[in-house]
Amino acid sequence: MEEFIAKFTLDFIEKDRWKFITDGLQITLLVTILAVFFGILIGMIVAIIRCAHDQMDPTRIKGFPKFILKLINTVVKLYVTVIRGTPVLVQLLIMYFIIMVSNDSKITVAVVTFSINSGAYVSEIFRGGIMALDKGQMEAGRSLGLNYIQTMIYIILPQAFKSVQPALCNELIALLKETSICGYIGLNELTRGGDIIRGTTFDALLPLFTVALIYLILVLGLTAIFARLERRLRASDNR
Amino acid sequence: MITVNHLHKHFGDHVVLTDISEHIKQGEKVVIIGPSGSGKSTFLRCMSLLEAPTSGSIIFDGQDITSPSTDINKVRQEMGMVFQHFNLFPHLTVMKNMTLAPVKLKIATKEEAEEKAIALLKRVGLEDKAYAYPGSLSGGQKQRIAIVRALAMNPKMMLFDEPTSALDPEMVGEVLAVMKELAEDGMTMAVVTHEMGFAREVANRVLFVDQGSIMESGTPEQVFGDPQNPRTREFLSKVL
Repeated sequence: MEEFIAKFTLDFIEKDRWKFITDGLQITLLVTILAVFFGILIGMIVAIIRCAHDQMDPTRIKGFPKFILKLINTVVKLYVTVIRGTPVLVQLLIMYFIIMVSNDSKITVAVVTFSINSGAYVSEIFRGGIMALDKGQMEAGRSLGLNYIQTMIYIILPQAFKSVQPALCNELIALLKETSICGYIGLNELTRGGDIIRGTTFDALLPLFTVALIYLILVLGLTAIFARLERRLRASDNR
Repeated sequence: MITVNHLHKHFGDHVVLTDISEHIKQGEKVVIIGPSGSGKSTFLRCMSLLEAPTSGSIIFDGQDITSPSTDINKVRQEMGMVFQHFNLFPHLTVMKNMTLAPVKLKIATKEEAEEKAIALLKRVGLEDKAYAYPGSLSGGQKQRIAIVRALAMNPKMMLFDEPTSALDPEMVGEVLAVMKELAEDGMTMAVVTHEMGFAREVANRVLFVDQGSIMESGTPEQVFGDPQNPRTREFLSKVL
């Protein structure tokens, strides 16, 4: 017990080393929250583009609009293929050392990388949700005079969101944990914070288990939030 | 009200409709009958452009709706559609189902739309379901809601695509009763159905569609009593 207290004091109390953990946690949360927001935004837009293309009626949409839609669809398909086909760590390094080399903020680099990365996965999740809905829902919306976008926003997406919600929760959990690679570009997020303590005090056990425990608590919190959301979205299921 | 000229519809190599021309007058109730796969539903769906015609034109209220310059969303606001599988929005209450389109399309304020929805629900005896979700309704109730949802847009014409085919037999009557009442109020209607009794009672004209064309057209008395086309006779002998 005495040994534990000594280790604990060395790892966290001495020289305010606990700040590596709390500061790291802040950065991890900041990057995750921003990347979740932009990732869902990108994913939703990409999914709508791909579904609009796949559900396009070739006899009504002709000429230039059709060409533009096909072109954009090809671009976003390429985006999804490249992002899903390469490791996120490689993407982060490319972003940091090549594409955004003139940018000083490591947080910005991390947010941009993870937003783009997550957007690709989220788009496929949403696309699955949209395509799985009964075709009659789109037809009913259109038959009332709503246009494609209005029908998407008020009728299709709310229902798709409900059915993809568990898959979306999975993706967000993965994203939270993936931000632990940010140490590779020298961003002092939670994992790196713990590792810095390990490197200074030469005690691996306490800092690393602490970091692991914090991730676990965050994931449990996220799961609980999603479970509540799911119950609320189920309000219309009173069959 | 609506004129269809030389309508053709192909799905790839598969020909569904060949050279259909038809005119439906204001206030007329036209019932379309025929064997399954004959193209009668496709014909109806072409009228609101849920299926785009391969060739031909459709003139609704003096406007060629197949022309690319036509705002089809505006046209559809005036053309109510009722589907075989109801297609109510399951994530919205009955009230929201009925007020969403009028409010979002700025045809009515929220208050006006809700007032109208209540009046329509009273008409079909479902005012107590205004804040229920579709999942808690029976098939017959769903279809009655689907009909008044379309009526909430004040359409000039109503299209019915086999509105009773997905219902349990004891619920068919309640839906047909609503449609009859609508017919008596003077609504222009095109109805694809297998309910021959309804056709006899309500239709001004019956169209028999088979193999993608209109084989016979006439009053219910003519078509049911003295069919001229051998295909019509064969079909009626099976269903009557």
